[in-house]
Amino acid sequence: MIDVDGVTIEYGARDRRVRAVDGVTFRVGDGDSLALIGPSGCGKTTILFALAGLLPVAGGRLAIGGAEVRGPQRSVALILQNAGLLPWKTVWQNANLSLLLHGDYPKRTARDVLDELGLGTAARRYPAELSEGMKRRVGIARALSTSPAVMLMDEPLASLDTLTREKIQDLFLHLWREHRFSLVLVTHDIEEAAFLGRNVLVLTERPAQVKEIVPNPGMGERGYRETAAFRTVLGRLREALER
Amino acid sequence: MNRRVRSATDRWIRGLRAARRMEPRSIGRQIVTYAISLAVLLLAWEIASLVVNRSLPPPTGGIQHAKILPGPFEALSQLVKNAAELQRHFLSSAWRLLLAMLIALFTAVPIGLALGRERGLDRYLSPIVYITYPIPQVALILFFFVVFGTGSATKVAMVALVLFFQILVSARGAAKNIDEEHITSVLSAGASRWQVYRHVILPATLPDVLTSLRVSIGLGMAFLYIAETSAAFGKGLGGFIKDRMLFQREQAFAGIIAMAILGLGLYVAVDIVERIVCRWKHVRRRPS
Repeated sequence: MIDVDGVTIEYGARDRRVRAVDGVTFRVGDGDSLALIGPSGCGKTTILFALAGLLPVAGGRLAIGGAEVRGPQRSVALILQNAGLLPWKTVWQNANLSLLLHGDYPKRTARDVLDELGLGTAARRYPAELSEGMKRRVGIARALSTSPAVMLMDEPLASLDTLTREKIQDLFLHLWREHRFSLVLVTHDIEEAAFLGRNVLVLTERPAQVKEIVPNPGMGERGYRETAAFRTVLGRLREALER
Repeated sequence: MNRRVRSATDRWIRGLRAARRMEPRSIGRQIVTYAISLAVLLLAWEIASLVVNRSLPPPTGGIQHAKILPGPFEALSQLVKNAAELQRHFLSSAWRLLLAMLIALFTAVPIGLALGRERGLDRYLSPIVYITYPIPQVALILFFFVVFGTGSATKVAMVALVLFFQILVSARGAAKNIDEEHITSVLSAGASRWQVYRHVILPATLPDVLTSLRVSIGLGMAFLYIAETSAAFGKGLGGFIKDRMLFQREQAFAGIIAMAILGLGLYVAVDIVERIVCRWKHVRRRPS
């Protein structure tokens, strides 16, 4: 369970504090998913980084699995905008970075994850040798390598072409069902939010506040993109953003 | 064998194999390029020598005046004739330069990286660096002789000091320009500060550091020459050249050729090291 209760986040030096997030509250149950959308620069990524333990909160409570977030945790994985791959490490080293940092030698499961994502033959290649789609899959492999309970994604499919983006969205959905992690997705794409978020949280301009939480119960159904329910949710999200 | 040692060894072996795989085509092409450049250079030198020496007076009493600028083939023949002596001076200069490069590398890189990444340290130490950086280090040469004596230590210290600033400034700049996403990526995976340096900052800045080292070789050679000619005791190409410049100019130019070979050798060595440790920079990039 992810529990965000009246969280306020501030930036800057002591005498020039800027409030980025103002009293945001939401909950994500175990194995559930939530998409965060809002205007550019409103503070979506700030909330995600605070959940990842990379930013301190100035007020409110932020807890994962009942424990307050005080720093990065092994059970929480973060996928960044450009997959966050290190260009000087091979696919295998990038995919297993979290394990190696904790002094664990990659197990057989790491190889299985690469195979599952179609990267088995690229294990010795460097990121520069991969297509954008493959890079994103390596980012996913890294996130899955520690079998996380919570998966945080910061616009993970930005700058991908439509077909590749839809393929990887389908892959996310498949992995979310298979691995049963709680998912928090930050995106500026309302279709992506409606496809992957069981609930979609719409934020205001900076400092971010919760404008509306749009429920999306049909999320995950087969062929959901083609349904009337999907289009209805898109309409509600557009309306909430424009309001 | 320890797993970590084995993995590091594997990496080097893979790097060497990759460097070797690159050799047939790229080295072949490089040899041809170097051969053409060398031919052009020798031709230009020969022409310059002919033009400069035309102003010499005719031989008097059967004695030919010493040439102002010896031709390349006279210098090369002296290089062969004096090979044994030149080899001793060459090795002496080579180890001084190599030692200075290593001292500069192992002191400037950690300081430069720390200044680039640790804001507090940068605020207080960078002004000191930028005040001392423009001081011409050659002005300190007499001070170095007083402190270290006239032996090799002064020459190594002099060159190391010059290279230190070049590498420091470059390492600091490279550390400042690291893509923050790489840092966030390892921090979110639970990396400690030391692990951030080991897995991100050091590998990300290595290409810039090695480029700066390569560029500094010329500067290091120039300062080594100044140091070796200022205290021309013992061995060293600088002293060899200086001692022969007035009356055995062909030999002096043989020494200059030896210095050029030393510079080229070090340049190529740094290039090979860069190809091995920064193999990711040389892979065939996939077009987006």
